[in-house]
Amino acid sequence: MKRHRSVDILFMLPTLLAFGLVVLVPFGLGIYYSLTDWNGVSSNINLVGFKNFESMFREPQFIYSFLITLQYTAINVVFVNLVGFLLALLVTSQLKLRNFYRAGFFVPNLIGGLVLGYIWQFMFNNVLVDMGRTLGISWLATTLTGKPGTVIWAMSFVNTWQYAGYIMMIYVAAIQSIPASLMEAANVDGAGFFRRVRSILIPMVANAFTITIFLTLTTSFKQYDLNFALTGGRPALRFMEKGIKSSQLLAMDIYQTAMGNNKMNEAQAKAVVFFIILVVFSLIQVSINKRREVEA
Amino acid sequence: MRRLFTLALVAVLTLGLVALPAQAEDVEIHVYQLKVEINEAITNFVKRYSENTPGVNVTVETLGGGADYGGTLRAKLQASQMPDIFMIEGKGGYDLWEEYILDMSDADWVKDTDLAYYSPEGKAVGFPIGIEGFGLGYNAEILEKAGIDPAELTTFSATKEAFELLDNMKEDLGLDNVVSVGTSVAGLWWVTSQHVFNAFYAGYLDYNDDSVYQATVKGDVDQERLTAFANYLKFLYDYSDPEILVNGTYDDQVAAFANGKTAFITQGNWTDPNFEQLGATFPRGFVSHNFLEEESTGLYIAAPSWFVVNAKASPERQKAAIDFLNHMALTEDGAKYIVEEAGMVPAFKSVKLVPKGDFSKALVEANARGGNFNWYFAQNPDGFNVNTLGPIFELLATGTVEDFVRDVTQAFKDLN
Repeated sequence: MKRHRSVDILFMLPTLLAFGLVVLVPFGLGIYYSLTDWNGVSSNINLVGFKNFESMFREPQFIYSFLITLQYTAINVVFVNLVGFLLALLVTSQLKLRNFYRAGFFVPNLIGGLVLGYIWQFMFNNVLVDMGRTLGISWLATTLTGKPGTVIWAMSFVNTWQYAGYIMMIYVAAIQSIPASLMEAANVDGAGFFRRVRSILIPMVANAFTITIFLTLTTSFKQYDLNFALTGGRPALRFMEKGIKSSQLLAMDIYQTAMGNNKMNEAQAKAVVFFIILVVFSLIQVSINKRREVEA
Repeated sequence: MRRLFTLALVAVLTLGLVALPAQAEDVEIHVYQLKVEINEAITNFVKRYSENTPGVNVTVETLGGGADYGGTLRAKLQASQMPDIFMIEGKGGYDLWEEYILDMSDADWVKDTDLAYYSPEGKAVGFPIGIEGFGLGYNAEILEKAGIDPAELTTFSATKEAFELLDNMKEDLGLDNVVSVGTSVAGLWWVTSQHVFNAFYAGYLDYNDDSVYQATVKGDVDQERLTAFANYLKFLYDYSDPEILVNGTYDDQVAAFANGKTAFITQGNWTDPNFEQLGATFPRGFVSHNFLEEESTGLYIAAPSWFVVNAKASPERQKAAIDFLNHMALTEDGAKYIVEEAGMVPAFKSVKLVPKGDFSKALVEANARGGNFNWYFAQNPDGFNVNTLGPIFELLATGTVEDFVRDVTQAFKDLN
């Protein structure tokens, strides 16, 4: 049968239209606004060139937000994947009730980030503090979300608690797709559990690593809801001779610039930089991971 | 026959289309406000108004305290859901939303108040929602037990002595701490970096004397005055609960005072309804934020927020919105809402009712007495109080007065 190009395009049109309207047009507008002096409301908009891009790198809050976002992302990529992978090994073993555990580990992922943030805020600020005071554990007696050194770790802990179950499911699917014959053959050859995990299981699920690391990297980098509900940016910290908020990740810094300071133009410039960095990091990660994948 | 039938069908359908918009629909007015403490009162008031006013349906939406009102309002604008009546909190809001603010100079309510918001061209644009004020709130019962007369707390050293006395009697009086203060950048920054700091801008000056504030925003910060203020603030911090100070929320701060666990609180009269909800019945009042040795009893009183009408709403909606505001200001029903239900201090002269909250009563008395101080913090650039001053005020909890003075001075210099 002969294919008609026009028919193809016609079928793609609804998708293209939606993609154009909700992705391409706002993206283009965002880049445009980053080059202007727009405050978010005014109808009088002037082009100012790259001024907004220059000013952000002199801003202590932005630099600090940038650094802790990198830190937060690095911690999450390691911990979420480590925990997710270990849980996946656990629930694909011969454990009793493994389906129950599988569901149980996944449930936190179904709770919204805001709800979760407020629940854990209560845990950190009340439950743990009371425990610390009663038991005389001094490092618990003041809240872990109230210290610049621990707040990022507290956020990563909650994120891991929430997200590891989801990542676990991806690993479970990958592990289950490994041909049983491979594992049996290794078993017959006398390979122990750790040997089988290292030499067969991990190489065979390498494609899952590409996906999971990509997901943890991008979601951590873009984190906002948990950040907002759990810490709201506190506590304050002195950095580069200025008072700043020590747990304000990049997404929240962009929001604050746009909505708190009414500088939509500077916020857009930050968002453009944010986008470029995220794309670069993701591309590097995917290309490295892809090299490690093997075909079954 | 069939053609006739088709024609008839088309005719009926077309008529239906034409007929629909002809039906009289209620004028919908949407109010968007951020005073969470009056949420219940205003919701009931608009319900009553809608029921008694045929053809008008008023709805109200409230955004919680400390949340980002400007941001959500902007989101509504982008979504074409701009409310018909919204709030501004002074010059920053007026400048930002100027295009959307209607001139109400001819409205009846304007003649009944001195506190309308006027545009630079002298047009009355903002409906004063109520008078608000703050100072250092006290629990009169506890002070009496300790033998302290609040009328004598007119200087920094007098306040200091009272704090030391209370601190020594904490166990007898059932106190955890002397004062309830919070300054977290995620929660109570507005209490310290806006309200308490307003004492620096306005304290000990005539009501309309903005010389200190104007010099400060131009980067010329009076070091001696700022150091005195910083010592006072640090003193308040030292006598407060360290957990509430850096991690507490509004609820934590208010509850500590309402439960009689502190003798003082750095809040304003908007907390009155909260105390009623929490069942706190002890008499309350305000003393001034006295950071100098000069005697003063003045409180910080102003109309801090105004309702404005969306100038880009349809003329019917604008008219209905102004009628609604007139009703709020000039009728007994409106007075009942402002004073009795919302517990606010009325900004309108025709209102004869006296508010029942003790803090609000204290404001009415202070207003009659005179010698009060204006509010200036709302004139700072958008985000400056929260994102620039907020962290500096929190850092003082663990830092030094010298760092605080240097940081605040630098922050104002950076504005220029």
